[in-house]
Amino acid sequence: MTTPGGGGAAAAAPPAQRAPLAGVRRLLGELYARPTSAIGTTLVALFVLLAVIGPWLAPYGPTEQILSDRSQPPGAAHWFGTDRLGRDVFSRVVTGARDIFLLAGGGTAVAVAIGTVAGLVTATLGGWWEEITFRLFDTLLAMPALLLALLLLGTLGPSRSSVLWVIAVAYTPIVARVVRSVVLSVKTREWVAAARMQGETLPWILTREILPSVLPALAVESALRFSYAIFLVASLGFLGVGVQPPNPDWGLMVAEARDYVYLTPWSLIFPAAAISLLVVSVNLAADGLGRALRTETR
Amino acid sequence: MLVRTFFCARLGVHIAASVLALSLVIGTASAQTLSVGIEIPAQLDPAFASADSEILVLSNVYDYLVEIDAANDVQPGLATSWSVSEDGRTWTFELRDDVTYHSGAAFGPEDVVSTFDRLREPDSGLPTADVYAGIESVEASGPAQVTFTLSDPNPFFLYDLSDNHALIVDADATDLGTTFDGTGPFRVESYSAEDRMILAANADYFGDAPGVERVDLIFFAEQAAAVSALRGGQIDLVLRMPTPLYQSLEGANGIERISVPTNGFDLVRLRVDRAPGNDPRVVEALKLAVDRSAIVEVVTDGLAVQGSDTPIGPLYEAYYRPDVTPPARDVERARELLAEAGYEDGLELVLNVPDSGDRPDLAVVLKEQLDEAGFDIEVRLQPESVYYGDGGWLEVDFGITGWGSRPVPQFYFETMIACGAVWNEAHYCDPEVDALIETAGSTLDEEERVEAYAELQRILASEGPYVIPYFFPQFAALSDTFTGMDLKAFPGRTDLASITVR
Repeated sequence: MTTPGGGGAAAAAPPAQRAPLAGVRRLLGELYARPTSAIGTTLVALFVLLAVIGPWLAPYGPTEQILSDRSQPPGAAHWFGTDRLGRDVFSRVVTGARDIFLLAGGGTAVAVAIGTVAGLVTATLGGWWEEITFRLFDTLLAMPALLLALLLLGTLGPSRSSVLWVIAVAYTPIVARVVRSVVLSVKTREWVAAARMQGETLPWILTREILPSVLPALAVESALRFSYAIFLVASLGFLGVGVQPPNPDWGLMVAEARDYVYLTPWSLIFPAAAISLLVVSVNLAADGLGRALRTETR
Repeated sequence: MLVRTFFCARLGVHIAASVLALSLVIGTASAQTLSVGIEIPAQLDPAFASADSEILVLSNVYDYLVEIDAANDVQPGLATSWSVSEDGRTWTFELRDDVTYHSGAAFGPEDVVSTFDRLREPDSGLPTADVYAGIESVEASGPAQVTFTLSDPNPFFLYDLSDNHALIVDADATDLGTTFDGTGPFRVESYSAEDRMILAANADYFGDAPGVERVDLIFFAEQAAAVSALRGGQIDLVLRMPTPLYQSLEGANGIERISVPTNGFDLVRLRVDRAPGNDPRVVEALKLAVDRSAIVEVVTDGLAVQGSDTPIGPLYEAYYRPDVTPPARDVERARELLAEAGYEDGLELVLNVPDSGDRPDLAVVLKEQLDEAGFDIEVRLQPESVYYGDGGWLEVDFGITGWGSRPVPQFYFETMIACGAVWNEAHYCDPEVDALIETAGSTLDEEERVEAYAELQRILASEGPYVIPYFFPQFAALSDTFTGMDLKAFPGRTDLASITVR
């Protein structure tokens, strides 16, 4: 007698574990197969590069006030012009890229990490754990992210680390829900049942049998969360409750430049354009990622 | 003959046309509505109101006993004349007897008595309780006369009577703050909170008839939006705006820019009743670290008047001492002082800033200057209503506060600098300073007062825990279809009734 489900397990194997490099290459191939996702991916890559080398690229310090060069229009000396206090807008925008990646990216990473673990474990275990965790998440989800963020910042006080934690708290439940929905459809599959019967430990089942199925959805969700997080960081900066001046936060720069829109429009246009461009590129890339992973797991 | 007839006919047509044109002008003039963009008023009970927008609404609907004109002189209001006794403690006011409230009720001395009794109630928690602490009694001493008895002579008593809050309300008035039964040039026709308030000219007003039939006060959450609406022609007047918005209106079509110098200032203050401000070396380092002229240039585009860390600006001509200046900037000395005080690695301080006017810019420029001199400043912006709303501004160690212009300097000393004063945000307390404030506020000898103020300026400039980098001008912008506006240093006290169609 064969072990029950033994043959079935081999037939409906979990998504194969391929050589990672080949997987990445194939993914990039898919991403660059469509012009929109190709543009999105390239731009995101450029922004990442900017976040890494931005401070070296900036000709001036981001908070340096050059009193002799106040309110200069864009030109050779100041590519994006200077603001009313004599700060180089180009230097501020490129230096600010790192902040947005650290805060929006960091917050998203924390949210994805906690959300994935919480969704994976509780949904696999089921029962009371799942009930309690997700009712708790539901109460958080009942509030719009921005409102939740304002409430938390009101308690924590405005600072960069609070902004990061606020994003983590706001987006963890959303990530957990996405993970849970995939887990629920996967955990009754034959290969999972087979692993259980073979007496595999829970961590093994979670990481080797269930997680791989979750990854495509998780990748797309993370990219989308990241784009929302950029907006949230910018909104909080704009509302004056997030990153504080004189930090070169893009949202804050837009808020500061509001009163100067007729005098030094460039101090508003460039940071605003940077926010829009990054959000659009991340969305395009996320869209491409979704398509690519769908074709791959098909 | 023919020529003459023709000429007459033409003249007739001309006259008819002129009369028609004139009547058209008058017709549109009397139907004209002035739309004013103001910040959202939150508190419209005269005793509690304080923001410019709130005072603007109320001072045009109610009246003061006496008014202060642009030249800082006292003018009649509901009181037509007044006299003071020899000892300076009894003030008698003759009141108008022809004034009625918008509801038709008659104005009388009992209204003045009840208004000031309310404002001076010691347990009320009202800011005016301090201002009017010197009033022993207010009595109706005749059918159109009130008498104030003071515990001590007060040379500024008439100015105190014209304090922003001292609008006379009917003794029988109820629901102050939601219903508005005043005696002023305009009556409230409708009020929709957070949106707008419609004022109509009061036909029975005792003073000059208002120049426009109707005033629409449109509420804007921020001044940039109000200025955009002015550019777009949706509103006719914006009464308050930060420097860059004013600068941006230069050469704008159909808009007249108006500015007046004021004694309003942005105060940078350090709390001195606990560390780190309780170390005089830290206070001295702060004063040495600031470059006041650079602040005037960068933050206010050179439009403000440089300050000397005292609340007495050049507008108080008789009291102002131009020879008193704070120590000149010395970054090295400031670093040394901080090191001596035990902060060789930089003194970390959070600079709390309300997000209005030029204050955020001031904070950013100040941070750069202070960081150069061994401070490590973290700027924290807060919405103005939040910062002032819960009293947080009186608690924080280091902060910026906007102080509006007042007709006499004594106000600042008594509410901001005297030991235990309501708004003593620096928690400053110096017996010598207190004695000088007392002298300046009670002596009837002008020479003595000038000397007391001079000494106060010397003390504050050299060792007060304050930096007053500038006295800001007040900016307004008016559509050029209107004229006759007399912008006050405290813009909320601007008389909308004097504005007419050009």
